Amino acid sequence: MLNRSFNGGVVIDNPHPVDTVEIIPAPLPDKVVLPLQQRIGDEAIPCVEVGDHVLTGQMVAKTEDHFSVPIHASISGTVVTIDDQFVPHKSGLKSKCITIESDGKDQWIKHTGCGTDFLHCDKTTMIEYIQASGIVGMGGAGFPAHAKLEGIQDCHTLIINGTECEPGIMCDYALMQHHPREVIRGVEILLHICGAQRAIIAVEDDKQEAINSLLMYCHNDRISIVKIPTKYTSGAEKLLVKALLDIEIPSGGFAIDIGVVCQNVATTKAIFDAVIDNKPLVSRIVTVTGSGIESPNNYEVRLGASFEHIVSMASPNTNQHDVRMGGMMMGVDVEDTTAPICKITNCIFVNDAVEKPKTQECIRCGQCNQACPVDLLPQQLYWYAKSENTDKAMDYNLADCIECRCCDYVCPSHIPLAEYFSFAKALHRKTTEEQYRTDVARERFEFREYRLERNKTERAKMMAAKKEELKKKMANDKAQKDKIAAAMARVKKTKKAKNDAQ
Amino acid sequence: MMHSNALNTNQIMRQVIYALGLGVGAAYVFFGWGVVVQITLAMVTAVVVESAFLSLRKRPVKASISDGSAVLSAVLLAISIPSIAPWWVVVLGVAFAIIFGKQLYGGLGNNPFNPAMLGYAFLLVSYPLQMTTWAGEFLNLSQAIDVIFNLSSIDALSGATQLDAVKTQLALGKIISELDVNSISQAWINVGFLLGGLYLIARRIITWHIPVAFIAGMVVVSSMLYFVDEQIYLPMQNHLMLGATMLAAFFIATDPVSASTTPKGRLIYGFLIGVLVVVIRVFGGYPDGVAFAVLLMNMTVPLIDYYTQPKVFGK
Repeated sequence: MLNRSFNGGVVIDNPHPVDTVEIIPAPLPDKVVLPLQQRIGDEAIPCVEVGDHVLTGQMVAKTEDHFSVPIHASISGTVVTIDDQFVPHKSGLKSKCITIESDGKDQWIKHTGCGTDFLHCDKTTMIEYIQASGIVGMGGAGFPAHAKLEGIQDCHTLIINGTECEPGIMCDYALMQHHPREVIRGVEILLHICGAQRAIIAVEDDKQEAINSLLMYCHNDRISIVKIPTKYTSGAEKLLVKALLDIEIPSGGFAIDIGVVCQNVATTKAIFDAVIDNKPLVSRIVTVTGSGIESPNNYEVRLGASFEHIVSMASPNTNQHDVRMGGMMMGVDVEDTTAPICKITNCIFVNDAVEKPKTQECIRCGQCNQACPVDLLPQQLYWYAKSENTDKAMDYNLADCIECRCCDYVCPSHIPLAEYFSFAKALHRKTTEEQYRTDVARERFEFREYRLERNKTERAKMMAAKKEELKKKMANDKAQKDKIAAAMARVKKTKKAKNDAQ
Repeated sequence: MMHSNALNTNQIMRQVIYALGLGVGAAYVFFGWGVVVQITLAMVTAVVVESAFLSLRKRPVKASISDGSAVLSAVLLAISIPSIAPWWVVVLGVAFAIIFGKQLYGGLGNNPFNPAMLGYAFLLVSYPLQMTTWAGEFLNLSQAIDVIFNLSSIDALSGATQLDAVKTQLALGKIISELDVNSISQAWINVGFLLGGLYLIARRIITWHIPVAFIAGMVVVSSMLYFVDEQIYLPMQNHLMLGATMLAAFFIATDPVSASTTPKGRLIYGFLIGVLVVVIRVFGGYPDGVAFAVLLMNMTVPLIDYYTQPKVFGK
């Protein structure tokens, strides 16, 4: 058990604890909706057409962008539409998706990877398998796994994040408990790719069953399993590294800058599937929980199935519900439950709709700065964000805010602080861009003025020089003329003298 | 790391008012019903004035009144002024505090100065006589009403506070050992506020920083002075147990809106208020210095906050 930690954070009791953590396989959905736009990178380009028959695991959209991964059919069936659909995103906007109707057979494409004896494979091939299998960070960030693994030079420690991050979510817990072998093998694969000396699997201390399962399968002395205190935001990469290694990732930097690679356990399991079998990522484990759910549980479900598909399995009550993707803290509200489950959907919260408490004025009580895990002063940031004074907010290190909403959680005035901060960040980006553009324009203008002025003075100088030269020349000319005249006069004189003599 | 104390702003204000109970109770025991009448007058005035100004500013009246901040300021001011002061003193003071101390700055959360102390300073400067004449004995309800509403003379019932008396005597050339520098009533009132303050710390409504630094500031300066000359400077324990010390340390200096918010800043802020309180008591023209010390330090809060930012993660 680790005693060391980071400052701040909040302890939130699990709102919907369960006795046994299971993984229930969800039935094949009748249709799946696969969004082409992923968390980062360009939109993927469809490589199937409406009417095509596809197999499970077949690539349906490819990408040329380095920060994206291809998209695979998660069921076998027929492509019925390629159009705009609702996706789970806080903007609430529609986005282009491929819709596949199931033929009920779930026929897979053929796939072979490195096999269980993966050590003979080279790293590049493994990373190619990982990208080709469409693996992104499944903890919620959605960062492409291959991009984190490429070109690693000095990595001393690999950290596997099994902390589950937010109260109520238990998909990673279930995964570690029921698939420990795959997780441990996945860690070994990652150790091989990163070249790290050791790997630490971090698990929160309320997940004893998971720790027991992992210990049973872990026979590699380079892998250790470390229990960390259950408190919110310990799942955030920077804070997890701080808690485990007591190293702070520099502001604006990444884990690899200090020789650390972090991966989530679910991603690790997906990497195992990708490297051993070259099996594309077509399903994931999703927790369904919340006050509107009678028996919270985990479901293994095909990507692209609707939220409803598994929510209906978890016996929801008949009240009006607020649905949220991800955790109660950092998740996003989803208006439409027909939206598809995607690779980052770790949890669906179905809560009885309740009226949100009214926001009051900030009384500067300072509870937020005690809760902030990165030691910011949220009440000062709020003051400047509210008055759109982004320069001052940046002075107070706005850019370091991880938007974990610990401050919102403890605020006695119920101020949505993190929302103000993400707004202020966007505003700052915009104003800096605008500022940059006006700066460039002003510089150009000033340079033009300078150039005109310079031309003018240079011209004047040149003219003056020319005049001078001319004058000199003229003066020279005069001297010449005088000489000629003198010569002429001499000649005349001699001529005259000659004539006179004759 | 913290657990949420799950209190909202209204509950916080209410808890602070409840925590004042012990100190107010002690004041009641020694001064009688005047304390209750003053607090009632102050609360009524606060609600009326705040409502009027909120409706002038076209803000939701009920929501803002129910946050309890105006009532809290009123109670703090009422217990700072003498229990036998005429009714218009407390009414004027509270009205000034709410209007000029709070609403004109934009209401709760936007005021740079502690409203109760602004009201107190206004009263002390304008009506020094009424503000320094304290009840000498327990008054029952009808006596208190008689005195406060000017129905009978107050001379027989009144006296100066201990701090005031000591100051006057010292000015007359007496030395500390010749004076009675203890006051049972004030000691009990201070203990009452101290206990209430400890309750607030235990409930995580205030942090320990400001009260501890405040008391430390007072202890350091008063001990130094006492060390220099024990005949003309009060010992440290008298400073702590006389006047508004504990009320200021736990309830007034800790007003979150007008205080520093960083941990280091709170230490500096509290310490310097403590220092100023003793300096004003000893060298200033007024017997107690809490109001001026707090107001002076309120002005420095933006500066303190700016230069005491905690080290941000990864920097």
